[in-house]
Amino acid sequence: MSLSHEREDNLIKTLKENFPTDIKDATVMRRSRINVTVAPEKILDIALFLRDKLGFDHPTGVSAVDYNRESRFEIVYHLASIANPAQRDILINLKESVPRNTPKATSLVRIWPGVENFERESIEMFGLQFEGHPRPEKLFLNDNWDGPPPMRKEVRFPTD
Amino acid sequence: MTTTDKPAQESTLGSPSPDEPGAQTLTLSVGPQHSGSGHMRLIVELDGDIIINAEPDPGYVHRGIEKIIELRNIIRSIPVIERPSIIDASNLNHAWVKAIEELQGVEPPARGQYLRCLLNEMNRIMSHLYWLSIYGVFLGHTTMFMWPLGDRELFIDLAESLTGARITYSYLVPGGVRRDLPQGFAEEAIKRTEYFEKRLDEYENIFFKNPLFTSRAKGVGVLSRQRAIELGATGPTLRGSGVDADLRKDEPYAAYSELDFKVHTRPDGDSYSRVMVHVDEMRESSQLIRQILEKMPSGPVRRKAPIVVPRGEAYGRVESARGECSFYMIGEGGDKPYRARYITGSYRNMAAISAVLQGVRLADMPTSWWSIDYWPVEADR
Repeated sequence: MSLSHEREDNLIKTLKENFPTDIKDATVMRRSRINVTVAPEKILDIALFLRDKLGFDHPTGVSAVDYNRESRFEIVYHLASIANPAQRDILINLKESVPRNTPKATSLVRIWPGVENFERESIEMFGLQFEGHPRPEKLFLNDNWDGPPPMRKEVRFPTD
Repeated sequence: MTTTDKPAQESTLGSPSPDEPGAQTLTLSVGPQHSGSGHMRLIVELDGDIIINAEPDPGYVHRGIEKIIELRNIIRSIPVIERPSIIDASNLNHAWVKAIEELQGVEPPARGQYLRCLLNEMNRIMSHLYWLSIYGVFLGHTTMFMWPLGDRELFIDLAESLTGARITYSYLVPGGVRRDLPQGFAEEAIKRTEYFEKRLDEYENIFFKNPLFTSRAKGVGVLSRQRAIELGATGPTLRGSGVDADLRKDEPYAAYSELDFKVHTRPDGDSYSRVMVHVDEMRESSQLIRQILEKMPSGPVRRKAPIVVPRGEAYGRVESARGECSFYMIGEGGDKPYRARYITGSYRNMAAISAVLQGVRLADMPTSWWSIDYWPVEADR
């Protein structure tokens, strides 16, 4: 396996050229894995660019991470490309951070319809809000669940 | 109200006046009784006997596994990781150890990699056979229920002799696998896979060419290529819509780069295509098992790996029986992950259910829905 990250570096270069101020950080984690952190208010434009110009048309999931010590949530969109067979192995982690006291983000369902269920899960499990989400209802939890969002770090099991 | 009760959707309550939207349609709640695959519910809206909308309502078998694995060390988590799909335990386990090894920088020895592939392919066949037998039930074809479940025992016995357990093996550990091949395994496996391929020919004659099946599957429940991609569908569902995506080829892991196999696709995107992709994959896995045994190098099966998740991020993805299974793992140096996001094939394919069922007749619903190979327990985690 080659050690060069030419394809990954080129993708990052293209992104940085097109969004010089909105990309806060872009690194190659390892071969085929790219982390891109963006400004939450610009995520829609960057997502559209990733899908239409760079061929990342296949959402493989959305993760939310609770960094309670830093008072923020990180929302990570995992994106793969079917359109471009040369980058089938590449996975982009498109990240944005939202403050823990006002966890509002923009829904990307209109870019990738496949993220709908994942965003719904983040809403119920972490208490996030996605503006423009077509169905911000409970997915796995009971509709009458009134406890705290269970995946937040401060929520412990009774046996802990 | 018990904890698993969910109130019905707004639209199912009360009777709307004839002018209101929804007045001409009937809303049915299908489930959440165990329908052969684990508890889940479909809320189906009908116009006559045509489905105009079908919403999955998951969560009846949600275990909170992502929380559980934040609280246990990485070895103790392995049996938990396998639970969502005990019939495909090895592949799910593989995603877990792959993410950990990526962070640790540990590369298992070559023989360990081959043994992982061996159990993965046996699991793929077992999972597909289990799915096929339930497909038989949904079609009212009793023989197709009995035969695959019976032939699945061929591989269960093999797995038992290899790992000591019939279904949940906990065989893959960071650094390799737990134990080496038992004596006489290869001869027995070759005999059994050859017999199994003959059985698949018999399935072909009794079922796959049977009008009972073809008339209810061909052209029914079509998922277009474009729709499958944008919905994030994966595995046989995606390949049944003509996309040749398979992580074993796209991002070869373990020993797959040294093995010779084909990625099977069908262009039509209907129930029939998705079923036949499963069947082709069983044949391919069967020959892969013989190939793995033939090419397997000698040497150790396991390397020492620490019980530690080093600081950093990793994304371990593997091709499980139902599509991509992945772990997005964040470590901070302890023996537990800070966060381990668990995304399974069924969870992703849940988005395809509505797309597949729209426009299908109610009588064809079970077979169309089941052709996605959606496993509620694997989706809920």
